[in-house]
Amino acid sequence: MNKMFGESWVTTTFETLEDWAQRNSFWPFPFGTACCAIEFMGTVSSHYDVSRFGSEVVRFSPRQSDVLLVAGTINDKMAPVLKKIYDQMAEPRWVISMGACACSGGFYRSYHVMQGIDEIIPVDVYVPGCPPTPEGLIYGILQLKEKVVRDRKKLAARSAQGRPEKETTGAHAGSATA
Amino acid sequence: MPTLAPPPPETRVGYDLDAVRAKFPAGSITTQEGAPWPTWIVRREILVDLARELRDNPATRLDLFVDLFGVDYPDRAERFEVVYNLYSLPFHARLFLKVAVREDDAVVPSLVKIWKGVDWFERELYDMFGLHVEGHPHLRRILCHEGFQGHPLRKDYDAARRWILTEDKIYKPHFDLPDGEDDLFERMTINIGPSHPAMHGTFRLMAVLDGETIIASDIEIGYLHRCFEKMAETHNWQQVIPYTDRLNYCSAFINNVGYCKTVEKMLGVEAPPKAVWARTILSEFSRIMDHCVCNGTTLVDAGALTNFWYMFQIREEIYGLLESVCGARLTVSACRIGGLIQNLPPDFEARCRTLLTMIPPFIKDVEDLVDKNRIWLDRSVGIASITGAEAVNWGWTGPCLRASGVAYDVRKAYPYDLYDTVEWEVPVLYGGDVYDRYRIRMLEIRQSLSIIRQLLDRGMPEGPHIVDDPHVALPSKDACYNQMEAMIYHFKLIMDGIQVPAGEAYTMVEGANGELGFYAISDGTGKPYRLHCRPPCFPIFSTFPQLINGGSLSDSIVSLGGLNVIAGELER
Amino acid sequence: MSQPIAQTTTPVAGPHPTETRPYRQSLYEKSYLPLLGGMLVTIRHFFKNIFGLNKSYTIEYPEERRDYSHRFRGHHILTTRPDGSVRCVACFLCAQNCPAECIHIEAGEHPDVNIEKYPVVYEIDMLRCVFCGYCVDACPEEAIIMSNNYDMAYFTRDQSIVGKSDLMKPYTFDENLLGYRPSFPEEDVKRAQMRRGAFDLVAAAKQAQANGG
Ligand code: SF4
Ligand code: SF4
Ligand code: SF4
Repeated sequence: MNKMFGESWVTTTFETLEDWAQRNSFWPFPFGTACCAIEFMGTVSSHYDVSRFGSEVVRFSPRQSDVLLVAGTINDKMAPVLKKIYDQMAEPRWVISMGACACSGGFYRSYHVMQGIDEIIPVDVYVPGCPPTPEGLIYGILQLKEKVVRDRKKLAARSAQGRPEKETTGAHAGSATA
Repeated sequence: MPTLAPPPPETRVGYDLDAVRAKFPAGSITTQEGAPWPTWIVRREILVDLARELRDNPATRLDLFVDLFGVDYPDRAERFEVVYNLYSLPFHARLFLKVAVREDDAVVPSLVKIWKGVDWFERELYDMFGLHVEGHPHLRRILCHEGFQGHPLRKDYDAARRWILTEDKIYKPHFDLPDGEDDLFERMTINIGPSHPAMHGTFRLMAVLDGETIIASDIEIGYLHRCFEKMAETHNWQQVIPYTDRLNYCSAFINNVGYCKTVEKMLGVEAPPKAVWARTILSEFSRIMDHCVCNGTTLVDAGALTNFWYMFQIREEIYGLLESVCGARLTVSACRIGGLIQNLPPDFEARCRTLLTMIPPFIKDVEDLVDKNRIWLDRSVGIASITGAEAVNWGWTGPCLRASGVAYDVRKAYPYDLYDTVEWEVPVLYGGDVYDRYRIRMLEIRQSLSIIRQLLDRGMPEGPHIVDDPHVALPSKDACYNQMEAMIYHFKLIMDGIQVPAGEAYTMVEGANGELGFYAISDGTGKPYRLHCRPPCFPIFSTFPQLINGGSLSDSIVSLGGLNVIAGELER
Repeated sequence: MSQPIAQTTTPVAGPHPTETRPYRQSLYEKSYLPLLGGMLVTIRHFFKNIFGLNKSYTIEYPEERRDYSHRFRGHHILTTRPDGSVRCVACFLCAQNCPAECIHIEAGEHPDVNIEKYPVVYEIDMLRCVFCGYCVDACPEEAIIMSNNYDMAYFTRDQSIVGKSDLMKPYTFDENLLGYRPSFPEEDVKRAQMRRGAFDLVAAAKQAQANGG
């Protein structure tokens, strides 16, 4: 885009549009395993209806989604699967970790449970609770939205300073391979 | 049309353990005195023959294999003890067998040839205790991953010691395909899951397809193994309750009740009438909720999305009730040992009544939508069917068993709480297929509603919500403030936990999936020495490859839903 | 093992059905006609919803909030004495009773001789917490209770370890937002007053603001 039009009205408007579209329509990939997944189902069902936030398109294909929503306990057996799915997602991608288990292992300080998914993938928003209420989860999604906007602004400011865009992939720079 | 069959006979006429005992050499079987249930300590050498005899002898007919688990006693010469839990449907009798083995000779014979359902239990025994099961066709880990070293439920295993699973160690299935047909090019092996919505996010199905037909399949579980049993050993008795919530998280309350009843039995206390009354009502509401979730998701798997909304609406309303009782929607922790978490809210009865009027229309809507719907009928009738005799051999219990024509329900067989004081029936269907499993849940919802209605009509019993025993229940805060004694009890209960006397207990309740039992062993310290949960869907799910082999791939998805496999309970 | 495993197994004969009798579709059902009945159900719902005869089930969070009961187990609150100091006496009972071991307390001597100790540090790791309410049950001082505030989300793990100041944050002290706390007879006036101790912090904070300008 930039190459074609340079820093012109077209690109900036397009970026605004893209920005707006991205932040108002997260397509989550629900990586649901346990009790939290049941509560996630509650979130998409009629009572809470997460589609009001543009996230109704639940995609079970990592290629088509931009938010990985990890709901439920991830244990050591599941870890490689989660990592693989994260790797398959296209940039830009964000991760919401829902529930105590995904965030930190919760009260399972045990031989088979990962002590937080941030051991293998970077997390953007942690939503505590066991399980979080659907409102809590929606709150988390809204927080992510704000964070995306914030990161965008930061990104814009940096590229205005003439830094190469590559280095700052925003929200999830860093520990992807940790 | 459904037949409402009578409960299993409460009589035991003709049941005679001695008839079996006489066939084996003296000294190879000893009766354990003081055990909570009839228990035999058996020499390992005769186990297989004894088991077969117990199953087939017309005087015992212990045909339902309920449970198997190990216990580790590092101080004993015979370090490991394996406990078998058998039930006789015709005679309505239960027998426990115990086999002790030494550490340097940690081998037990496999009973797979006698009860098919024992297969996964024996793999779990190997996984958790490292006992070799001789004669098992494919003994390998089941819950822990392949990179795991050691056997976690041994007492000398550190509860927090983890192992990393690397890609190269991930399980690759091996199928024994029928030879002779040289059409290997037509066959395709596919892998579904674990992170696949049709596998409910936690199971991995590997199937060999010939066109659309599954000719061989294998499943891998353990993706949600959260070490419930080890965690129970590291927490005190009261603290285990939140962990039980997370077993069958669709009906967490029933787990609470089951666990608390076990501990109450060991302590010799009884919950006060109000708690029992509320436990019965809330258990039934939880059952309704669980059945709704199960049927809702099954129908979604078959493409009928609308029902999902209706079913989940019911669930939301029941959540509201539970939340008003205990403050959480899903993971309720609403029971305490000896009673309930808090007194019932003032509007409890009114809320229950509202729910009673609210649920039937939703149920009716769903039934109108799908009961006679040709598409649903075509996709479910005759799919994944199993006969009653087979299901019993596989160790099934609960709605799935009752859909195959066997009327076993713990609430009737061993009535607990208030189930013997209300009038209700056990629905039984004979199709044994996905459709009848769906229907039976709908029928059970109606029975549950009727139970609740009768209990509500009886009115809430007066009195406290928890036993008034300072060794079990925390004193009220008022007492705490005003009486030094109460304060001391409070302090002791929190610091040391409830002191459960040494001993064993097994109690079961009818979970939403079948017999949900807890076997607890206490050594008199403040923590459980061993706590085993008998997960109803464990044997049910182990049947899955057999159910889907020969069917089409799309049918396998619908079959899974109908079994209502809850990963938290399956893998604990 | 000396005992060989027997190779044969007799089929289980029992009182149980050895064949299945699946549901038989009637001719009417085979005709797909019942589908129309199903359609009617959805159509009925559709029109009811369109014309507003059904109350809408959807809750417009965050503008509208669901009414949770006063037992909801949400974010914790550390209650205060009337003078605004923390009520907790650092007895460690809550930390002991917590199944997730997520409460971290460091005790210190209180300047007031009547009160033995107070927590210098009181932290809860919100991401570990499973909101079971055991800490509330354990506290002999009613110093820790829960609110029905569930709006929590953190961007880093460090943020999630909330300390005394967060737990005593005035915004949680709206009486309508109180959650799970020890129960006692409603008519007990003295106890009800004690519970309000939580709100005294708001007053104290306002006072301080007024004084400080
Ligand atoms: S955080 Fe709690 S509710 Fe969520 S998966 Fe873990 S145990 Fe279940
Ligand atoms: S609610 Fe439960 S997990 Fe959370 S701090 Fe209190 S006791 Fe610990
Ligand atoms: S139990 Fe209560 S008084 Fe004791 S340390 Fe915890 S909050 Fe403070």
